[in-house]
Amino acid sequence: MSTNVLDPSKSLSFELSEDQQLIRDSVRDFADRHIAPGVKERDASKEFPHDLVEMLADQGLMGMVHEEKYNGGGVGHVSFCLMIEEIARWDASLALTVASHTSLCSGHIALAGNEQQKEKYLSQLTTGEKLGAWCLTEPGSGSDASGMSTTAVKKGDKWILNGSKIFITQGSVGGIYVVLAKTDPDKGTKGISTFIVEREWDGVQPGGKMEKLGMNSSDTTEVYFENVEVPEENLLGELGRGFIDTMKVLDGGRIGIGALSVGIARGCLEESLKYSSERKQFGSPIGDFQSIENKLADMATEIDAARFLVHRAAWLKDQGKPFTKEVSMAKLFASELAVRAADEAVQIHGGYGYIKEYHVERFMRDAKLMTIGEGTSEVQRMIIARELKKEYS
Amino acid sequence: MKFYVCIKQVPDVNAPIQIKGEELIQDTNRMILNAYDASAVEEALVLTEKHGGEVEVVLIGPDKAKETIRKALAMGAQKATHIQTSGDENYDSSTYASILASFFKDKEYDVISCGKQSQDTDAGLTGSMLAELLNLPYATNAVGLEIEDNQLVVKRQGDTGQEMIALPSPCLVTCSNDMNEPRIPSLKGIMQSKRKPMEAVELSSLDVEEDNLAAKTTVTGYQEKPEREAGKKFEGEPDDIAAEVAQLLDTEANVI
Repeated sequence: MSTNVLDPSKSLSFELSEDQQLIRDSVRDFADRHIAPGVKERDASKEFPHDLVEMLADQGLMGMVHEEKYNGGGVGHVSFCLMIEEIARWDASLALTVASHTSLCSGHIALAGNEQQKEKYLSQLTTGEKLGAWCLTEPGSGSDASGMSTTAVKKGDKWILNGSKIFITQGSVGGIYVVLAKTDPDKGTKGISTFIVEREWDGVQPGGKMEKLGMNSSDTTEVYFENVEVPEENLLGELGRGFIDTMKVLDGGRIGIGALSVGIARGCLEESLKYSSERKQFGSPIGDFQSIENKLADMATEIDAARFLVHRAAWLKDQGKPFTKEVSMAKLFASELAVRAADEAVQIHGGYGYIKEYHVERFMRDAKLMTIGEGTSEVQRMIIARELKKEYS
Repeated sequence: MKFYVCIKQVPDVNAPIQIKGEELIQDTNRMILNAYDASAVEEALVLTEKHGGEVEVVLIGPDKAKETIRKALAMGAQKATHIQTSGDENYDSSTYASILASFFKDKEYDVISCGKQSQDTDAGLTGSMLAELLNLPYATNAVGLEIEDNQLVVKRQGDTGQEMIALPSPCLVTCSNDMNEPRIPSLKGIMQSKRKPMEAVELSSLDVEEDNLAAKTTVTGYQEKPEREAGKKFEGEPDDIAAEVAQLLDTEANVI
């Protein structure tokens, strides 16, 4: 492929397009007006904010990366990152809801679904009419999907699904589940397939809400499947290809987790800038002390670095280029930054940082999920190293 | 009804402003749709959604101001006119009113609306001047608009109550930002706004008289807001303090 430096879509640019700016500014206005107020109350009540999700759906933000013919927004993943960052700046739980709904459940159907499945299911997910839950993790298997014990056994023209899933985002509020199960237990990861399951079907039973450290108003539950009859037409993607598709879906999902982490870190920085300019000790604002200035400068620098990594991964995906290594780098760096930034923000706030009156205490609890969900930091490093060895072999 | 809404791009009120010598330095990267104009756009959209009609926005400004036009189109305005300027000109309210008057002279419309003022200078003159130049009936500082029997009924907020004024078409109204909460563009609105017509008009094609392009007012300087002085703290016996406070209110604060 020849490179054309005059083509702005191919050359390096640090400027957002007019569309992207408008999307970012609109979501920022929305977040200031509707998301920031009440965020502490939502964290305390742990209730799922159906009203806010409905409003986001009205704004067209529950499926913005998916094709317009399935009611999606038809915009790229850089715009998606901008949106997730703006939401996460205030409410990481809500950002997690939007990101997981869009990238995992909807993302898997968009990736592997046939025309009929996309028409029937994706079109309802992109409008927010139904929320999506993606059921991969089990009590006994996480990143090592080959260890899963959920099974689907063919019986006539139906698959009989049995098993239990854990840590399922939108587990109880979801209307459509994408479920990974073993269809050929002897074949390891090559014996895993994917199914689209409707909440109303007999034998689908969400468990209670799990008590978590943070991300309180995001819905996390167990989901049980007991002799669920899944019609053949709801097999998503090819038989035995579930694991390969899952890896691709996770690559996409990590873009959202990266952007979410940047949003949390930015919240930490902005709250710290505000607090340190107001809080006076020894006769001056603490923000004028060099030890605080250093923290702020480091946070801001690392946030920019993280955002560049995340946007690069998003851009690569939009260009249809490989991005497995780059998105793992972005997710790894951004998520660990979110934890660091939250730690520093609480430190800057001192005693006030440790209580719930200020936002940073919540940021600290929410941030920790970022280094765990959709592949732990350790798994990201494993992926990066594996990709590096491939490149240099 | 055909609405024309005059909009302006202004610096974000949160953008840092510095006074350097005789000049006002603004962080021009953070430009927004004037909040009062946003209310005017919103109200025009609500009224045309209810009664039918069309909303067209008009903006005078440099190339960068296109992003503000896009925002108004993304909110739902059907089309836009961009009267292009370099952005370096020294315009005041009367210049803007003269340019708009030239633009509107061969246009058909029912209502011209705009914000009651813009957040950059807060002069609040352009709307009234434009109405004068076009010889239109007008009302200022609207907090509500209705259409009744093809007339525009303007609700104005007074000190003691509200005043309703009916204006025949065509007319002009300036809007308060207390009127509504301007909608936030949806993703669909943003994507559709790209395909909406935005006509570029060169200033020279409007034949505005040279005299009218020149600002009629001169800014002689800018001053920082004086820093607030620290409050006074009184200590001692209540009787003594009361006497001291009373005396200072009289001699120093001059309020008694």
